Amino acid sequence: MEKNKKRLFGITASILLVLILIVAGFWAANRAHENRMHQDTLARVEKTKTINWGVKTDTKLFGLVNTKTGQSEGFDVDLAKALTKQIGKQLNMKLTATFTPVNASSKVQLLKNTNIDGVAAVMTITKERAKIVDFTDPYFPAGNSLLVKKDSGIQSIKDLNDPSKTILIALGTTAADTVKKEAPKAKVLALQDYASAMQALKAGQGQAIVTDNAILYGLVTENPDYHVVGGIMGYAPYGIAFDHNQPGMVKESNEALAALKKNGTYNALIRKWFGQVQGLDVSQLEVTQ
Amino acid sequence: MTIFNHYSSLFYSGFGYTLLASLIALVASLVLGTLFALLQLSKKRLWSGLGNAYVQFFRNVPLLIITLFFYLAVAKVIKMTGFVAGTVALSLYTSAFIAESVRAGILSIDKGQMEGALANGLSYGQAMRVIVLPQAFKVAIPSLGNQFINLVKNSSILAFVGGLDLMYQGNLVAASSFDTFTSYIIVGIFYLVLTLPLSYGMQYLEERLQGNR
Amino acid sequence: MSMIEFKDVEKYYGDFHALKDINLKIDAGETVVLIGPSGSGKSTLIRTVNGLEEIQEGQLIVDGFDLHDPKTDMNKIRKNVGMVFQHFNLYNNKTVIENIMLAPRLVLKRDEAENKRIAMELLERVGLADKANNMPSALSGGQKQRVAIARSLAMKPKCLLFDEPTSALDPEMIGDVLKVMREIAEDSDMTMLVVTHEMGFAKAVADRVIFMADGQILEDSSTEQFFKDPSNERAKKFLSQVANH
Repeated sequence: MEKNKKRLFGITASILLVLILIVAGFWAANRAHENRMHQDTLARVEKTKTINWGVKTDTKLFGLVNTKTGQSEGFDVDLAKALTKQIGKQLNMKLTATFTPVNASSKVQLLKNTNIDGVAAVMTITKERAKIVDFTDPYFPAGNSLLVKKDSGIQSIKDLNDPSKTILIALGTTAADTVKKEAPKAKVLALQDYASAMQALKAGQGQAIVTDNAILYGLVTENPDYHVVGGIMGYAPYGIAFDHNQPGMVKESNEALAALKKNGTYNALIRKWFGQVQGLDVSQLEVTQ
Repeated sequence: MTIFNHYSSLFYSGFGYTLLASLIALVASLVLGTLFALLQLSKKRLWSGLGNAYVQFFRNVPLLIITLFFYLAVAKVIKMTGFVAGTVALSLYTSAFIAESVRAGILSIDKGQMEGALANGLSYGQAMRVIVLPQAFKVAIPSLGNQFINLVKNSSILAFVGGLDLMYQGNLVAASSFDTFTSYIIVGIFYLVLTLPLSYGMQYLEERLQGNR
Repeated sequence: MSMIEFKDVEKYYGDFHALKDINLKIDAGETVVLIGPSGSGKSTLIRTVNGLEEIQEGQLIVDGFDLHDPKTDMNKIRKNVGMVFQHFNLYNNKTVIENIMLAPRLVLKRDEAENKRIAMELLERVGLADKANNMPSALSGGQKQRVAIARSLAMKPKCLLFDEPTSALDPEMIGDVLKVMREIAEDSDMTMLVVTHEMGFAKAVADRVIFMADGQILEDSSTEQFFKDPSNERAKKFLSQVANH
């Protein structure tokens, strides 16, 4: 009897604990929600004289950690630096750029929690996302493509529209929607990041990776047995993201981006990062005045 | 809660796969663990060495690496999905810990039990199965309970290899809803739904067996 | 016909020479008592008979099987050679009656009804029929040892080994156990080898007494002669010490 009572107490206590956890969770989520309503990103940037950018660590050509320095390097990183400098000029102050590693699932949350000010991390502009964050004008033209083994014989995504085929994607990318539209019968497997997806492709866990062509070109440079096929499925450019409702910050960034395109900085960065990529016509990426 | 309503089918399916992987791994690791505990205790050097090597290897290598090994390397030879690779890795990994629990349990049983059974005419196998192991498991229950709870939580490794489990679906929901926090809270509650009853079940079993000693 | 025969047997534990040049023959039906100071190797000797201890040299033939031959199936010998231990070694996870019925069921495949009948008969013989469904932990030491004897008898062995069966018992329990052992020795043609310190039992029941010290057999004579006039000096000394006790 004594034991039964004890057990009953234990069960009740655990359930209570769980309930408290849930309530506390939602309360914290609400608080975060309220916080973000009152936070003006531009004001914060002006106060701290820094812009903290969320960048990728695993994406070749855009944001890949240099194992020697521990810092991310790539087009996104360089562009963010240039934007920081330019915005500083516009605001008549010296701004410093700092960088925080983000991944697909954490980037929006970190933005909402104001751990970071902006996201420059191969983020495709979508309607869904635009409801939650503010995007700048597109800064990179991209669209989904296929990466397959050279001897696979696969030419387009239509070849994969079959329940026996598995298409690999990286978690939190727009590829899922593309596959749903173009090859609805294929199985989709989401992996943690592009590197995992590439490993899985090599291990035969799927027949193709679907993601942005620019990223696929980065993967090809390391894996010459594979190539990009299928053309570009839908124009899905990248944008820089800020927290929702930040007209000031977006306006400054758009002005800065336009200035960089005008003064040639943008094209220089394009050539720096994409000039060497085989199978990619770099002139298509450059902006013409 | 809107997240849960919106993505409930994903959560339920993930819960199903996590439950399935846990059940398979639980049975497999119990069988394997007992087998390797017996190997370790074998008088033959070769067998005990083999048992020891197995336990030390799988106990000291991170679960993630074992999982990736099956998913990326073994899968080239034997076709297997992420679910299978993850469940196999989870079974092997957990079996090493269970082998240690069972071995400790067997060693805690008075040697006289085995000698009595052998002298009584039972074979080593019969003596082990009917006399020593049942008593050893009784002793090992608290530590086995810990292993089982860890097993359920460790099954989240499946998410890394597209294993369709709770954590995998949680990642998907977090990525597509942009509400990471709520998504993982829901995932955490689902794990509690599995581990809390397991926890109390083991406690109950322990008390009951203690009672009729 | 000899039931147990040691020929030039040597036994080592690592560097320790536990049994030295043992030569001993025990005939079927004989009751032999093994005595000696502690550490003399009597327990080791009795444990070699059913293979719980291995021998390193010589020949040990039990019931026609050579125990030193690796091809010998130890289970065949153990079926016919029962053993009663100092610490009883009852199965802690089985009831009293299950302790007795288990080996006949698993090893002899004895019919279940028959098995139960024999088990109950044996329990009655050792005076514990009312304890059939108790767990061993509920029994006193003397009761446990009587169940252990019943368990051995259930296999209908040709030979029974007793390894200090009364040493772990309270004095008032010893009598009941010795009484059961004496009945076995008197009623049946069972071969019995008994390691004990109970000189009264030895005098009353044994056909022969063997005295051991330092891993050697120092005296092997008929019971009458051993207690009247042992030829070995250490045996004499041992007897006088035990008598003064």
